[in-house]
Amino acid sequence: MDFLQFLTPMYLFLIFSGTLVGIIFGAIPGMTATMAVAVCLPLTYSLGLDNGLALLLGLYVGGISGGLVPAILLGIPGTPSSITTCFDGYPMAQRGEGEKALRIGIISSLVGGLISLAALFLFAPALAEFAIKFSYVEKFLIILFALTVMAALSDNMLLGIFSGFLGIFVSLIGVYDVTEGGNGQYRLIPPGTEYWLEGGFSLLPVLIGLFGLATILEGAEAGMPKGQSLKDIKVGEHSRFRWSVFKGQVVNLVRSSSIGTFVGILPGVGGSAASILSYTAAKTASKDPDSFGKGNPAGIIASESGNNGLTGGALVPLLSLGIPGDSTTALLIGAFTLQGIQVGPLFIGNNPGTWDSMIVAMLLANLVMFGLMYFAIRWLAMVVAVPKHILFPVILMMCVIGAYTINYGIMFDVWTLLIFGIVGWLAPKLKLEIAPFIIGFILGPAAEIYFVKSLESFGTLSIFFTKSWIALLLWALIIGSVVGSAMLARRKAQGQGAAA
Amino acid sequence: MKLTRRTILAAACSAAVLAQPMAAAAQDLPRNVRLVIGSNSTGGDTYQAAAIVAEALSERLGVNIKVDAVGPSEAFKAVGRDKRGTTIMLHHDQSYLANLYGVPGNPDPFEGYVVGPSLTINPGNAYLVPKNSPYQTMDDVLNAAAEGTRVRVAIQPGGVSEIGYTALRNAARMNAAGSEENIVPVNTGSQSDKNQAMFDGLADIINGSIQANEQFAQLPDDDQKAMRFLWITATPEVLQQGPEAGVGNLTRADMLQYAAPQTSVKLTETEDFTFDKRFFLIYNKDMDPAQMQTVDDALAAIYQKGDIQKRMLEAFFIPAYLPMTESAELLKGKRDAYGAIIEALKAPQ
Repeated sequence: MDFLQFLTPMYLFLIFSGTLVGIIFGAIPGMTATMAVAVCLPLTYSLGLDNGLALLLGLYVGGISGGLVPAILLGIPGTPSSITTCFDGYPMAQRGEGEKALRIGIISSLVGGLISLAALFLFAPALAEFAIKFSYVEKFLIILFALTVMAALSDNMLLGIFSGFLGIFVSLIGVYDVTEGGNGQYRLIPPGTEYWLEGGFSLLPVLIGLFGLATILEGAEAGMPKGQSLKDIKVGEHSRFRWSVFKGQVVNLVRSSSIGTFVGILPGVGGSAASILSYTAAKTASKDPDSFGKGNPAGIIASESGNNGLTGGALVPLLSLGIPGDSTTALLIGAFTLQGIQVGPLFIGNNPGTWDSMIVAMLLANLVMFGLMYFAIRWLAMVVAVPKHILFPVILMMCVIGAYTINYGIMFDVWTLLIFGIVGWLAPKLKLEIAPFIIGFILGPAAEIYFVKSLESFGTLSIFFTKSWIALLLWALIIGSVVGSAMLARRKAQGQGAAA
Repeated sequence: MKLTRRTILAAACSAAVLAQPMAAAAQDLPRNVRLVIGSNSTGGDTYQAAAIVAEALSERLGVNIKVDAVGPSEAFKAVGRDKRGTTIMLHHDQSYLANLYGVPGNPDPFEGYVVGPSLTINPGNAYLVPKNSPYQTMDDVLNAAAEGTRVRVAIQPGGVSEIGYTALRNAARMNAAGSEENIVPVNTGSQSDKNQAMFDGLADIINGSIQANEQFAQLPDDDQKAMRFLWITATPEVLQQGPEAGVGNLTRADMLQYAAPQTSVKLTETEDFTFDKRFFLIYNKDMDPAQMQTVDDALAAIYQKGDIQKRMLEAFFIPAYLPMTESAELLKGKRDAYGAIIEALKAPQ
């Protein structure tokens, strides 16, 4: 019962308030868990390590989870890792099942968080040992596997893949950053724009431009639709949430949570890849893959359990090797260094008290997240009842604030938001597909770094096939996903032909 | 609401009253100051040093100071835009090294900016090998290169990480002309990338730090992750000022074994190469000199009081306050010395 010593009123208050603030940050498009942790990091020095970590872990869990709210209700991913939640959550909300989709997402988030926490608690050192077996080669293949979802998400496979490659191309604009192992040189930057494009286009402004601003522009073009009334929120029996929706989804839940945890333990692969990979796996394994992207609850389950599965996973390399698993846990290192504590391979053994405190904080943060969000659903779901002429300006303002603050006040990020808002509005008219584009944009930089580093390190393309058994396994998954997508596209084409 | 002249006048008066504290005496800093740092990380030594200094300055001057980890390029841009003293920058030797190495987006801090007071030194810059490495000393490394063995060194190009690598090549050239070509860089990013390069057998030596890598040095020999210190670049004088207990299992006496003169990497025939990673402030060149003096005076008083030294030593920083003029002179001297080594290595032997 040693853990009871942590449960002071201050500790509990910090977890509660951290989770609440994290959910709010996650729910505002453009604001992320990373930003929430960055803002509150300086507070941790005065709070002490255990209390400081309780606050930050609450923010982390809340921030990752809160992203599902705008993803489902507005079609705008609150955080990059909730991008795939949009694909099925928003169509459900549009057909009056927003509340149901939210409940599915929140429960999946809780399950993902708890499974990854169990993995962290029971297997952290062993998982860290396994993680270091993944070199640049294996990491590139993981990203390649995640990229195969571009084909699966496309309405027209050729255009979808083209859009995806366009997304990769745009993501590579800017400096080849030395902090990522690059040579610090500029590439793909039009002459005269180096000052603004040196760092490339930031992910968050691109994301909320394509999904948020573009929706507003489309609404403006079509004329302001009337908002749904509160009567519409009180959904019919058929669309009410029932636990039976999880029937047959246990495998999806466990698999997606495990994928999220696994991606978390691999430093540098990135949080967004967790939900994309989980979604890809769920779609590939589904008997009805065609329904994904059209409001299939299995898509939300995969995405949300995947991205919350990341939370525990990303702490594995941090606490076992001193290496952060994602951008938010990279900030958590600051809490340790501000207290003069080094995290490394001996951290858990040398600091059992802090380790226990973190595990308890993660557990409580997940439960508080569930409690806060699950019981607030009725009020959250009413967002769609707000008249669009009020809702859209508020969303626009939040998007602009989020874009401006994401990199601590860079005006070019606001221009990026506007540019990609217009791109998102024009894309359907030009037959470009936004979902593959954004997947390419998110995964492009990591794919480039790992591909180049693999070649620099091993000097031959054959290394991608000969490096290890893990590489071969990943190739099998990549081929399986590509073949599955091709067969799906063929079936769809045949179906359309028969219908014609 | 109807806007009358009276309303507008009242609003203007209120605004003037509210703005008064912001525009107090010229030498005062604005009430809200942004301290941008040349690192994107909040887990690294730059953020840590900035947090310590910001807290002390904030308390002393009665202003709010917020530390923003924006990275070098954006930090220079932010400072370059703001001459009001609202934005100041904290960075270390990388600020001029990146410029010497020609990394785009890194201007010369001595040209377009004002180099301010020095604050502290992180003596942790180090080079490590796997525990089972054949290299026991730096001489082993230099001799291996002289005998034609390629020695792969994992660094992050264009900065603190690379200057030690440059010095190593310089020493190899002095040891046996042409052998510097056998000291090859493995360009990696973060510390975790460098560690991973070692775990994968892609690097023979990695750049690291005492703080980040010491626990790996405690691992048993048969652990794939086990490392050994080979070289610490800090001057012995600086290391002597650190806590005797050192960091983890590495005592100050141990550290001195890996530093000059015990571990020698020659700069010239009579001089060893050393490198102290020094943190300092950078101002907009048009910022009011009186404001710069205010910061200098505040720092002098803070260091005079002595509390900040304890805090720094707890975090394994060596307090190293120098007023603006002395600091700029010292750093310019370092810049010129390192620039000469970099240029010399570019020239054929």
